[in-house]
Amino acid sequence: MKAKKILVPRMAGVMLGVFGLICPVAAGESGRDAVTPELLASPAPAHSHLSRVTSDDTGTVYLSWVTERDGLAEFAFASWDGSDWSDAAIISEGRDWFVNWADFPRLSVHGDGKLAHWLRRSGSSSYDYDVVASFYDPSRQRWRDGTLINTDGIQAEHGFVAMVPTGPYRTLITWLDGRRTKSEPEPGPMTLRGAEYASTGERLDEWELDSRVCDCCQTAAAMTSRGPIVVYRDRSPHDIRDIAIVRQIEGQWTEPQTVHDDGWQVAGCPVNGPAVAARENTVVVVWFTLRDDLPAVQLAVSRDDGEHFTAPTLIAGADTLGRVDATLLDNGEIIASWLDLRGTDAHVMLSRYSADAEFIDTVAVSPILASRRSGFPRIHSVGNTVYVTWTQVGDANRVKVARVRYDGF
Amino acid sequence: MKPALPAAILIAAMLCPVSQAEDAATWRIVNFWSEWCAPCRKEIPMLNALSRSLEPLGISVVGVNFDEDPRAVTLEIAARLGIAFPTLTGDEVAALNLRPPEAMPTTVILTPANDVAARLVGLQDEEAIMTQLARLGLPIAATSSRQP
Repeated sequence: MKAKKILVPRMAGVMLGVFGLICPVAAGESGRDAVTPELLASPAPAHSHLSRVTSDDTGTVYLSWVTERDGLAEFAFASWDGSDWSDAAIISEGRDWFVNWADFPRLSVHGDGKLAHWLRRSGSSSYDYDVVASFYDPSRQRWRDGTLINTDGIQAEHGFVAMVPTGPYRTLITWLDGRRTKSEPEPGPMTLRGAEYASTGERLDEWELDSRVCDCCQTAAAMTSRGPIVVYRDRSPHDIRDIAIVRQIEGQWTEPQTVHDDGWQVAGCPVNGPAVAARENTVVVVWFTLRDDLPAVQLAVSRDDGEHFTAPTLIAGADTLGRVDATLLDNGEIIASWLDLRGTDAHVMLSRYSADAEFIDTVAVSPILASRRSGFPRIHSVGNTVYVTWTQVGDANRVKVARVRYDGF
Repeated sequence: MKPALPAAILIAAMLCPVSQAEDAATWRIVNFWSEWCAPCRKEIPMLNALSRSLEPLGISVVGVNFDEDPRAVTLEIAARLGIAFPTLTGDEVAALNLRPPEAMPTTVILTPANDVAARLVGLQDEEAIMTQLARLGLPIAATSSRQP
């Protein structure tokens, strides 16, 4: 399957023109030539959704997705060598999975190791489910049997998983753990936990990283020069739900600290988690907030492995739905993805910033349904190329994938 | 007996033009809920009571299943959650042309012309909603779902 050009650039031009007039992101003002999204033929079949994109150390890109048919959920992936997709490979399948638009499987690839997770129902309640992970065995070229990541044995919500390789044969897995939410007589808070695993599936260590976090937002993790970091939506006793970070320094986890004190107080479920990208001591966090009912996607940068952050840079204002992601290019530039909404028209957007968080440009990658059914677009960069994936909603949902090459711009 | 509502609400209601009572016939309180959202589940009894108490004034409380499940599934979930107010169909929701909620629950107060008059994000109590209705000039002073 070869790459082909798509009509999106024309739409991007229209969008950029509109944004130049009314959007806080001054798209197209950089003076550089516009970047052009390029739609790739998708290896995902009809009825696919919940896609993610990642890569291995060699730059091979992996696209993963979930298909659902007749009650059977199937988690699969294909790899991209720069011109073609491999045949789709099935990681696992099941009829007892919890399949959700915001909380969905992830594939991590590092060296010759692969690790994937999915969610399996644990009880009769609709929202009691466990995190199950499978570790790929390269010597036998097969996926090992699933391993239960949360071992509390409590029928509660466990999910919103993040993964990051912490060494050649080690991966940190973090997740929201609802074991305390079933406490009597009063339900306790959602917690954030993490565990490190060897590539064989052996659990090396486990921690509670935060004892009170937002119940329903994605978590994100990245590796810095000093160790892994986890970024998530916190929850204060007064329901302030700002973005927080914990860092592992020399084997010890730091106390949670906010990336920025937005002061968004809401007794509700935002379902809009943060994104993080890191390279050496540089950390970029992108997040959605809604203080005083004012939507905003913001960006903050750290030069000391996440210990201190710059004041936020506003990426998008009133017309954003959030659903963000972030990545760092080889040249140090920052890419943030977010959803733009004007009336009923939503678009997947990519905004580029310099390493110092100075705005460069914004491009509309594709129209997308604003509804939850379109899920969370995900991005990942290899070199100076960004791969973007999202779900095209229709009679049969289908995962789409595009790339945006920033080389030469 | 204590007043059912704070003085501010009563004063606001007294100041509102009587003629607006006619418009109240088609004002709607649209509540976006989801089965997985604990605050959504928590405010359902309040919304049920509010639906009953506001019905005589022609102000309707309606629900939207944020998860966009098929109609039969939505009604099944609504029944399981004890939702007594009507749940809109997918077409009805689309016709409202509302911005998707940024957080759950979200409650939107719509004018008779389907304009968004107020948007309340997160868990609400009766007082918060009644305060909004009063601010919008709706005659809700004598109405409360609270029991003395």
